[in-house]
Amino acid sequence: MISNLGNFFLFFSLFSITLFYTGWSKKIFTSDKVFLNLIYVTSASPFLVLVIGFAISDYTVLNIFQNSYIDDPIFYKVTSAWGSHEGSILLWIFLINMYGIFFLKTNNNKEIHKQIIFISSLFILYLLISSNPFQKIELDTTLEGLGLNPILQHLLFIIHPPTLFLGYIGLIIPFVLASHILISKNFSKDLFNQMLLWSKLSWFFLTFGIVLGSYWAYSELGWGGWWFWDPVENISLIPWLLNTALIHSLQVSIKSNQLKLWSLNLALYSFIAAVFGTFLVRSNLIVSVHSFASDPLRGLFLIMIIAYLFIVTLRLNIKSVNYFNQDTFKIMSKETFLLLNNIFFIAAALTVLVGTIYPLFSEIIYNSSVSIGAPYYNFAFNLLMAPIILLMAFAPQIKWGEHKKKNNQTFYIIAISIVITAIVYYLLGNIFFALSVFITMPLFIKSFLVFFKKISKDRGFFAQWLAHLSIGLFIVAAVYTEQFDYEKNITFEKGDSNEIVLNEGASLLLENIKDSDLSNHQKISVDLIVVEKNLKYSLSPSKNIYQPSGQVTNEVSTVNRYFDQYYATISMIESDKVSINLVYKPFINLLWISSILLVFSIFLSIIKRK
Amino acid sequence: MKKNLFIPFIGLFILAICAFYYFNQAPSQKLEAKQVPPVLFEAKDFYKNELIDTQNLGDFYIINFFASWCKPCLAEHPLLMELQSKGIKIIGVNFRDDEDNFIDWIEENGNPFEYIIRDDGSIAYEMGLIGVPETYFINNKIIQKKIQGPLFYEDIETYL
Amino acid sequence: MKILKLTSNFLLVIFLLSLFSIGYSNENKLNDYFKTIRCLVCEGQSINESDTEFAINLREQIKIKTNSGMSIKEINQELIEIYGEQISFNPSKNHFLLWLMPLILVLVILMFIRNKLKFFYKK
Repeated sequence: MISNLGNFFLFFSLFSITLFYTGWSKKIFTSDKVFLNLIYVTSASPFLVLVIGFAISDYTVLNIFQNSYIDDPIFYKVTSAWGSHEGSILLWIFLINMYGIFFLKTNNNKEIHKQIIFISSLFILYLLISSNPFQKIELDTTLEGLGLNPILQHLLFIIHPPTLFLGYIGLIIPFVLASHILISKNFSKDLFNQMLLWSKLSWFFLTFGIVLGSYWAYSELGWGGWWFWDPVENISLIPWLLNTALIHSLQVSIKSNQLKLWSLNLALYSFIAAVFGTFLVRSNLIVSVHSFASDPLRGLFLIMIIAYLFIVTLRLNIKSVNYFNQDTFKIMSKETFLLLNNIFFIAAALTVLVGTIYPLFSEIIYNSSVSIGAPYYNFAFNLLMAPIILLMAFAPQIKWGEHKKKNNQTFYIIAISIVITAIVYYLLGNIFFALSVFITMPLFIKSFLVFFKKISKDRGFFAQWLAHLSIGLFIVAAVYTEQFDYEKNITFEKGDSNEIVLNEGASLLLENIKDSDLSNHQKISVDLIVVEKNLKYSLSPSKNIYQPSGQVTNEVSTVNRYFDQYYATISMIESDKVSINLVYKPFINLLWISSILLVFSIFLSIIKRK
Repeated sequence: MKKNLFIPFIGLFILAICAFYYFNQAPSQKLEAKQVPPVLFEAKDFYKNELIDTQNLGDFYIINFFASWCKPCLAEHPLLMELQSKGIKIIGVNFRDDEDNFIDWIEENGNPFEYIIRDDGSIAYEMGLIGVPETYFINNKIIQKKIQGPLFYEDIETYL
Repeated sequence: MKILKLTSNFLLVIFLLSLFSIGYSNENKLNDYFKTIRCLVCEGQSINESDTEFAINLREQIKIKTNSGMSIKEINQELIEIYGEQISFNPSKNHFLLWLMPLILVLVILMFIRNKLKFFYKK
C-alpha cells in the first residue's frame, strides 16, 4: 500500500510537471499558481508516505525493512526514513518542493518556477531509475527489520541531515533567481533583495547543520575531535564558504549596485557546489566515513544533473558578456574590502575542493594514491582565512563608496594586538595560538569600541556585529583546544589501586562498573571521577550492545569544567582490567557557544528584515 | 569577456574526469620490486626453535600471515593445506596472537606451514601488512604478488 | 580614556578565564604524529582514532621505534617506503600543485580582475 502510494505520487508529479512545461496544464487550470501548488504538493508527498511507512513499520517495503527494527523507539523509526541513500534523495525532493511552495508566495514568476520543477523532475527521475525507496520486498512479512545502525541512533542524527539539506537545497532559490536575472537582464534591486533573503535562510540552515554535524561527531565518535576534513565535511564547507561570500557580495550589489556579476555567479556556483558535493560522496569516488553503499547508476545520474547545471551556468555567462567591467569604486572603500572578501572566500572554497578531489587526480596522473588531511588543510585553508579575519575587524566600519581617511585608531589597534600577542606567546609558548590571537585581537578590540558607540542601533547592525565577534571567539577557541588538548590511556587492573594519577594536581578514580538492559541494547558502563584538589568531575562512559545486529558502540561521556571538558571512552574492558581513554579539551565549550552565537546572529539578521 | 566561461568549462572538465574515473575504477595493485625484509629471517621457528634455512626454502615460496582470531584465515586454510600437499613451502607468520589460542588453532586445523614464526607486529610492519589474512608470493627473493584477504582457488591454481 | 580602561578590563577578564584552562602543549607529540598517519583499513580515520588491529599495531611499532631512538622524521620516511604515500595525511612536497594552491588561486583570481586593478593604479 505504502509502496504503491509512494510510486503513484512520484509518477503523477512527473506527469504534472510535463503538463505544466508543455503548457497543457492551462487546459485544466487557467491559474498557473494553482497548478504549481499542485505539482509541489504532489512531489512533496512521497516523502511523507515513506515516513508513514516507517512509523507503521511496513516491512513489505525493502527500504523500511533494511533500515529499522520493530523494537526501535518510534522516534527513531520515523527518522530512519532519511537514514538511507534512497530516503535522503527523497528528502531532497521533498525539500526542493517545499521551498517551491514557500517561494511561490513571494514570487510567482512562471519562468522561475519552471526551472525549479525541472530540477525537481531530474531528481525524481534519478530516484525512480536508480534509487527507489518504494521497492517492494518479496519475502515473508513476519519480519522484525534489520535495525538502524546504532551510531545513528542519536538525537543529533535526527536534526543534522535535514538541517544541512535545508541549507543545500535552499541554495536552489538563489540559483533560479540568478538564472532568471541573467536571462531577462532585469537587474532589479527587488530581485537581488529576494536573493539575499533566501541566501540568508540557506546560510542559517547550512551553518546550523554544520555545527550540529560537528557536535554530533564530537559527542559520538570518542576521539575528542570535532572536524576531520573528511570529504563529506568538506563538501558541506564549500557551499558554506560560497554562501558566505554570496551574502557579503549581495550587500555590495544592493547597496551600491556593484559586483552584480560576482553575486550572480556566486549564487549559481553555490548550488552547483551543493549538488556536486552530494555526488562526490554518494558515488563513493572519495572514501570517507560517510560513504553510502554504491551502485554505478547513481553516480551517472548525478553527473548528468550537475552537467546540466554547469551548462546552464555556461549559457548564462555567455549571454551576459556585456555586463562586465562596469564596476567603479574607490580604493579604500567598503566595496574593495568586500571584493577582497569574495576573492579570499572563493579561493578558500576552491582550496578545500582541490584538497578533496586531489587524491582522484593523483591516482590518474601519478598512479599513486595520496591522502590529504589536516596537515594540508591547516596550512592552506588557515593561510587563506587569516587575512579575511584581519580585514573583518575593520571593514564593517568603512563607508560605502568613500575613500577611507587615514586613521590613528587602526595603528593603535594593531600595536596593542602585537603587544598582547607577544605576551601570550611568552606565557604559553605556543606559536599557533599566538598567531590566532594576533589575527583576532583587532576584531575583539574594534568590536568592543564599536559596541559602546552604537549600542542601540538596529538589529541588523547587532546581528552583523555578533556574527563577526563569534567567528573571532570560535577561532581562538578552536586553535586553543587543538594546541592544548591532552589525551591519555589509563588502565585499571583488578587488585590494583582504583585511583591513578594523571598529572600533578589531578587523578582519575574508578568508582564502579555497571551492567544494565535497555529496550534495544545492553549497556556496560564505567563510573569515573576526575579528582582535582578540591573539585570532582564525574564521567560515565559505556559500551552498548544492540539488538538484533549485535553491533557494539562506544558511548562517550563528558563533564564540564568552566570552558573546558573532560571526555572519556572505554577503550577495552575485560574480566580483570578496564582501559579508559581520557581526553581533556580546554576551551571546547567556548567553541560550541560561539558557534551557537553565530547561528543566532544569522537568525537575527533574517527576522530583522520582516 | 571570455573569462567567465572559464569556470564552467573547468567545472565540466573536472566532472568529466570524475566520470571517467568513476566508470574505470581499476584496483591499483602496483608493487615495485620489493625484497623480503630481513627481519623475517631473524626470527626463530616456533616449533623447531631455529632460524629459517633459506637454502631449504628454495627460489619460490609463500609467506602467509594468519591469526586464530581471524575468521577468513580459517576459510582459506584448506587451500594452504592443498598447496603444502603439492610440495610448496609456506612460511606462516602468526600475527599478534595469544600463544595458547595459536597452538590450539594449529592442532585443530592442521599445519600447512614449512616454518611458523610468531610475530608481535614488527614483521608485519616491515612487510607492509594491511590485515590478516594476507599472502605473499616470493620468487628469487622478490615479492611477486600480494593478496590481501582470504585466498581463493583462482589465486593459487597456477601454482598447483 | 574610559574606552581604553574598559578594553583593558575586558581583555584582562578573558585572559584570567583562560588561566583556568590547563595547558598540555608538548605532551602529545606522539599522538599528534599518529593523527597524521592514515588507517588503511578504515574509511579516512587516522591511526590515533581507530581500534583496528592495523592501527593498534602501527601505534605500538612506532612507539617502539621512537623509544629505540628513531626520529619521527625517519619513522615517517620508512612508513612511506613500506606502505606508500597514502599512509600519510601530509602529502609530500613533490605535490607542489597542492601546496602552492593558495598562492595560485589568489593569483588566478587577481588575474581575472586585473581590469579593476588597473583602475586602482591610475589613482
